Amino acid sequence: MKALAKTEKILLYDRSDPLELDCGAELPNVEVAFETYGKLNSRATNAILIFHALSGDAHAAFYHTKDDKKPGWGDFMIGQGKPFDTEKYFIICANVLGGCKGSTGPSSTNPDTGKPYGTSFPPITISDMLKPQKKLIEYLGIKRLLCTAGGSMGGMQALQWAVNYPSSLEGAIIIATSPTHTAQAIAFNSVGRYAILSDPNWKTGDYYHNGSRPLIGLKTARMIGHITYLGQLSMEEKFGRKIQEGKGCSKIDFSKEFEVESYLQYQGDSFVKRFDPNSYLYITKAIDAFDIYNGKKNLAQALKNVQAKTMVISFTSDWLYPKEESLKIVKALKINSIDTAYCNIDSPYGHDSFLVDLPKFKDAVKGFLKALGDR
Amino acid sequence: MTHPIFLEWIENNSKVLVLGCGSGEIQQELISHRKASCFGLDISETKVLASISKGLSVIQGDINKDLDDYPPAFFDYVLADDILQLTHEPKKVIRDILTIGKKAIVSFPNFAYIKIRLSILFTGKMPKTEILPYDWYETPNIHLFTVKDFLQFCRDEKIHVLDYIYTVSQGKRTVNFAPNLTSEFAYFLLEK
Repeated sequence: MKALAKTEKILLYDRSDPLELDCGAELPNVEVAFETYGKLNSRATNAILIFHALSGDAHAAFYHTKDDKKPGWGDFMIGQGKPFDTEKYFIICANVLGGCKGSTGPSSTNPDTGKPYGTSFPPITISDMLKPQKKLIEYLGIKRLLCTAGGSMGGMQALQWAVNYPSSLEGAIIIATSPTHTAQAIAFNSVGRYAILSDPNWKTGDYYHNGSRPLIGLKTARMIGHITYLGQLSMEEKFGRKIQEGKGCSKIDFSKEFEVESYLQYQGDSFVKRFDPNSYLYITKAIDAFDIYNGKKNLAQALKNVQAKTMVISFTSDWLYPKEESLKIVKALKINSIDTAYCNIDSPYGHDSFLVDLPKFKDAVKGFLKALGDR
Repeated sequence: MTHPIFLEWIENNSKVLVLGCGSGEIQQELISHRKASCFGLDISETKVLASISKGLSVIQGDINKDLDDYPPAFFDYVLADDILQLTHEPKKVIRDILTIGKKAIVSFPNFAYIKIRLSILFTGKMPKTEILPYDWYETPNIHLFTVKDFLQFCRDEKIHVLDYIYTVSQGKRTVNFAPNLTSEFAYFLLEK
């Protein structure tokens, strides 16, 4: 039987208590969409906060309706008997600030104008994304999390959380991420943003009222992004040079000859149905600006406050967030005497490995959580 | 598993780094019998994952390169059990472990053991024994040495040998007479 969950929404900030952002601006109304799985125990000591990545949302596990074909994005990890075992733990996942799946973002209505914010939405940071999530767990009655976990942008949040709120958690699982965004990763995001900005339908972000959104731009951005999430080897195995069925040489096809081309088209088309172009711009900017150093002269200094026991994971074929980036984090944690486990997991699936059902990855998470529970 | 023979050297509640920790058996012993806080380092992804799955704090890394990340005297003990002869630069490794550890425990097969000497003498081939079972072309032991070599090295490097255990029969018996000739495997407790 399919386990069901539903996305809840809560207003966490209002005019009397606005959200103060790192840039100095204030957001008067902030709603957060979140889902929970499992039950919070009476002492509220079994809560795990999961952070989603760029294109994710609060729907991390289970199904919304019995007829849903696909469960939440992290369902292979979350549920009864799975590493984030809903029989033992209370799992929380919230849509990030700036997102478009229920939490306040550029597509939300600005209470001052009655119109969507568009690009009048203030710039946000990874730290800003954490503020409503911190308030959410307090609202849920949780003073101290058993663990946090996230991959990619979620890993940035997990790392930042351990620095910003050091006493609020027991452990942190930091997956496929980096202490700052690398030049290469910024470059790819930049091309994606350029595709959106140069779509004539973008209209400086003010496209919500007239029906035509900059979908070509967003689709292109997603296609570029998707290439960076895949491993060279797994792409070769999955597609190679296979040609689409029915494609002959009678007429040239510039967009969909090879299977890999139609795969990217499909990924792009399905993404634009569920994502807001302005959210894509704001969130990728927050990722590019991510810098855990925050002016400190070295990473060990920057991570000095961390108290959580940590597990850092990288994947061998991830060239977007290569193991060297994870090792920087591990080294800084070691210097700070933090109890740290690290593994570079052998996987052909590139950056997206953290979203793939890998038994050894699951065992590592399970073991780490069990040891946290035993402490 | 029988208790590791060096267990008696380790005081309760110590902080221990286990090099080449494999799947974490020694850490589990140290945690249950010495209430040690244990850290591990191993190069193998499979073994590191096996250790992490047991809830142990293990880092996938290379002994040849990754030891100097820790602050000086960070550990009470660094354990290099049967691993020094596998490293590229044993001298650097020993210096590193006596920097990051207040004390170090080093163990190794003694290449001057009488059975090895006789084997070379009578067969003229590289020796193969129960604890050195490899053919010359596939052995991971790239820096084999003897008890005498090691004691000389400690004198040269001004390393204090606080204690030692010489064994035969895969650690089942200890020997004390002429250890460079009679011991098959040796353990040293060291301090800089």
